[in-house]
Amino acid sequence: MISVRGVRKAFGSATVLDGIDLDVHSGEVVSILGSSGSGKSTLIRCMNGLEKLDGGRITIDDFDVSRPKELSEARKRSATVFQLFNLYPHMTAVQNIALAPVEVLKIPRKQAEADARTLLDSVGLSARADAFPAQLSGGQRQRVGICRALAMKPRYLLLDEITSALDPEMTSDVLAILAKLAHDGTTMVFVTHEIEFARTISSRIVFLDKGQLVVDLPTAEFFAADGGMAKPRIAQFLSKMRKD
Amino acid sequence: MRYTAFTSYDIVLLAQGLGVSLALFLATTIIGLFIGSLWAVIRFYRIPVLAQIVAVVAEVLKNSPVLVQLFLVFFGLPAFAKINVTPVEAAVITLSGNTAAFVYVIAVSAIESIGRDQIEAARVFGLSRWQILRRIIAPQAMAFAIGPLTGLLVNQLQVTSLISVIGVVDLTKIGNILNLRTLKPFIVWAVVGGLYYVMAKLVAFGGARLEKRLRAHTAWKGL
Ligand SMILES: Nc1ncnc2c1ncn2[C@@H]1O[C@H](COP(=O)(O)OP(=O)(O)O)[C@@H](O)[C@H]1O
Ligand SMILES: [Mg+2]
Repeated sequence: MISVRGVRKAFGSATVLDGIDLDVHSGEVVSILGSSGSGKSTLIRCMNGLEKLDGGRITIDDFDVSRPKELSEARKRSATVFQLFNLYPHMTAVQNIALAPVEVLKIPRKQAEADARTLLDSVGLSARADAFPAQLSGGQRQRVGICRALAMKPRYLLLDEITSALDPEMTSDVLAILAKLAHDGTTMVFVTHEIEFARTISSRIVFLDKGQLVVDLPTAEFFAADGGMAKPRIAQFLSKMRKD
Repeated sequence: MRYTAFTSYDIVLLAQGLGVSLALFLATTIIGLFIGSLWAVIRFYRIPVLAQIVAVVAEVLKNSPVLVQLFLVFFGLPAFAKINVTPVEAAVITLSGNTAAFVYVIAVSAIESIGRDQIEAARVFGLSRWQILRRIIAPQAMAFAIGPLTGLLVNQLQVTSLISVIGVVDLTKIGNILNLRTLKPFIVWAVVGGLYYVMAKLVAFGGARLEKRLRAHTAWKGL
């Protein structure tokens, strides 16, 4: 499981994460909602070791991401899909996907590339397997991004607003893939603005507000709360999101 | 009476001078590329002390005249360090160092031109710094640097002509010798200049071809 305990993160004098506690168990899909600037990306970047914590502790299957020796194990267990894809521009789709399996997991290149093609096929991209990122549309790039993460056979997928750079049609392509992954029991931490979609795939919804995790509820309760006894901040956020 | 006519042996002399210039150019290019890239890697890893030393050395080398550096090595080393250097050794040391300084500058900016986001992705997927350097940074930095490097090498080829002043018998020195004997400066220097021109064109041509290969492979036109 992913365990986040009392995590604090500041940039200069601005505290961006202010004592976050969160558990993500195997098989769960936890969606993180929150307005822009509330610290969602920073939380993901703390989980994958891109940001140094200023306080607290994050472990992935008991490997502490703040300890250099354990970080590599933690990183083998989780894989990130980025908002802006972050593909390697000088490599084809297949090469993008096969790089880490070859270099990190030491899988023979031939096999890694065959696996990459199978993955691309599963997201409807077999015809674009040898294209470079610059030759792909945004939605296609993000599907490559997802395959690149899946190729590591991670226990946990970290997804940071992976559809927010895509137009609606491409968004639905990508979300369909996530729905299938959720259905197959993939554990996911899913930062998103797609509230209705989050409702359909999440086991839990957490709500970040100004660096604090103000709500952590099973999906049904979260949306029930929207109806009446809701915290005003969530009701306000949800109604704003729905209007957009 | 002076013998001022050209002889067929002059062609042999020119060929020898050309060979010396070419050999010096190739040797100092290889050494300079190696050392300059090594310096850039030292900077990439932010190795304490070494990285600062490298930055200062490169700064000094690229901001002082090559001729002054050459005199410093050729006359200075024997005088101060009691190390005797032959003209060829002095030429190799000076030109290699000078090339290295400019290769360093080009390599550093090529490395810095690569987007942070893809490097972060590679880190998150567990690649080591060395793997990132080798698989992500080097291939892209090479494609980026090949243009400026070609320009640099064409220039360094011309710079080799300076070494004739300390007695290396390169193409320019041969030009000097032939000129003094034949008293036909216009012909002699036109031929010598033509030979430098052809060499420079070959370097530029090779660089352009390599660049095309590296870029075709990456197909970045859309970025
Ligand atoms: N590297 C950084 N340096 C300084 N401030 C940062 C940095 N990264 C994020 N921030 C700030 O932290 C806050 C939270 O950012 P972020 O985690 O990206 O929010 P979200 O993803 O929820 O929109 C913002 O105010 C942002 O400006
Ligand atoms: Mg964000």
